[in-house]
Amino acid sequence: MAETFPINIWINEERFKDLQAAGLATLLKEELAGMKVMAVPCIAEERDKVLKLFPMAKFDAATTKSIELLPKFVKDKIYELVVKRKKMEVMTEFCSLFEKAGDAFWNQEIA
Amino acid sequence: MELIGHGGKPLVERVITDKAEAKKKIAGLQTMPASRQMATECISISYGFFSPLEGFMKRADVDAVCKKMELADGTLWSIPIVYDISDQEIADYGVKEGTSILLTYDNNPLAIFEVEEIFSYPKEEIAFDVYGTKEEKHPGVARTYAYKDKFLGGKITLVNEPVIRDPFKPYFLTPRQHRLKFKDLNWQRIVAHQTRNVPHTGHEWLMKHAYIAAHGELPVESMEELGKAISGILVNCIVGEKRAGDYIDEAIVLTQDGLRTHGYFRPDIHLTTMTFWDMRYAGPKEAVHHSIIRTNLGLTHHMFGRDHAGVGTYYDSYEAHRLLMRIPREKLGITPIFVLEWLYCPHCGEITGIGLCGHWKEHQKFSGTKIRSILIDEVKPTRLIFRPEVFDIVMDSAKKYGFGSPFVGAEYLAKAKPAFSIEPL
Repeated sequence: MAETFPINIWINEERFKDLQAAGLATLLKEELAGMKVMAVPCIAEERDKVLKLFPMAKFDAATTKSIELLPKFVKDKIYELVVKRKKMEVMTEFCSLFEKAGDAFWNQEIA
Repeated sequence: MELIGHGGKPLVERVITDKAEAKKKIAGLQTMPASRQMATECISISYGFFSPLEGFMKRADVDAVCKKMELADGTLWSIPIVYDISDQEIADYGVKEGTSILLTYDNNPLAIFEVEEIFSYPKEEIAFDVYGTKEEKHPGVARTYAYKDKFLGGKITLVNEPVIRDPFKPYFLTPRQHRLKFKDLNWQRIVAHQTRNVPHTGHEWLMKHAYIAAHGELPVESMEELGKAISGILVNCIVGEKRAGDYIDEAIVLTQDGLRTHGYFRPDIHLTTMTFWDMRYAGPKEAVHHSIIRTNLGLTHHMFGRDHAGVGTYYDSYEAHRLLMRIPREKLGITPIFVLEWLYCPHCGEITGIGLCGHWKEHQKFSGTKIRSILIDEVKPTRLIFRPEVFDIVMDSAKKYGFGSPFVGAEYLAKAKPAFSIEPL
């Protein structure tokens, strides 16, 4: 299986209740004294694409091997897509939707 | 009252506080603008943060620092403090050895520079001797390579004190003011916590560990009463040049103080202040420099954790500890306290030390990267990890000072006001 590099989306209580109701709470991991995190995986190609599309993001190669510093509005949209598709492997579709719509993507509802 | 600083030498104080006298002293001097880094270092030299330096280093000092980690007179010193200048500027401003010039900042008078020596020094040698590498991707090396080709050495006298802006104003104390404050607090032992971070509970425990170690065999009985503490923690925040992704300085200073104002530390054992310094990320050499600064502030102990002032993989996690252990105590002046990592153990259900807890496989280590990620998502962490009041201060600072983010971004770099200004004399 190809190595994956996560985008960590931290889940507050409100979102956790929504995920539980949708039967998606099993997608979450627990870290740091019970905090809930949705680790959305990226394969190497997706990671490179994300870093290209969002130049403010950084890949933490030294410690966590995760994609960091993505702004909240980007992570909110990734979360929305995961919930809509009921699966974690969404990053190829996410990048493609953003490339097609550009900045309008942030105000569009995901079909 | 004469105060003693690093190296057992009198604390340097080269500040003309009388404006009329300052105006008289600078009359007729050739002016030359100083960069932000040089201006902050003029301020630090003049107030004695860098005692016993009375000015920017001359060649003999730079050489001794690079080759032997000491000044030309044998005093321990680890990082060159130099004033860089180009040949063009030397010609344009008519800078000559044996003359004085008036350095300006924001077009206002800042300091008199008695130029004693104009010299050059191979920048690659400085880089290798101080940072242990010549790679430009090391930020300290990049800073060294960015220096202009010549250096000026000589004494500095501040003629116009900086105006510190809010919210930093209450946190800027000179070395003399630090000592007066410690006297007011009746602290006999003071341990430094060096920081560029917003605190999570792992940091809190580092401070608690260091405090208990520094207090040592001193009596505890009187401390049952608030206001009777005889030792304390000084959180000395480094305020200086920022890199994208760093915490904004305002959030650092306010959250550190928040630990006191919200009761996580008693008000009589905890104090937050700041020191101007552009981090060099020199790892062990920078640890020595931090010791020197804190000795000048009047501290007795200094905490050093893993990866102190390091960057990337240039230094081993405990290289700073090893270097500090090799320096004779009479040269260092301050007692180092070495601390291991603190982490969360779900089995214990509490924060514990990696050197204490045996549930190895269950340990959840603090990670600066993870905490940043949580803050970006604006999710309030559990109080075991991050105090709710600290979280609120971070978010408030982001709104007030960070253009919406607690982290340095392009907008903050372009628009944030410097922590100090130099006003007309």
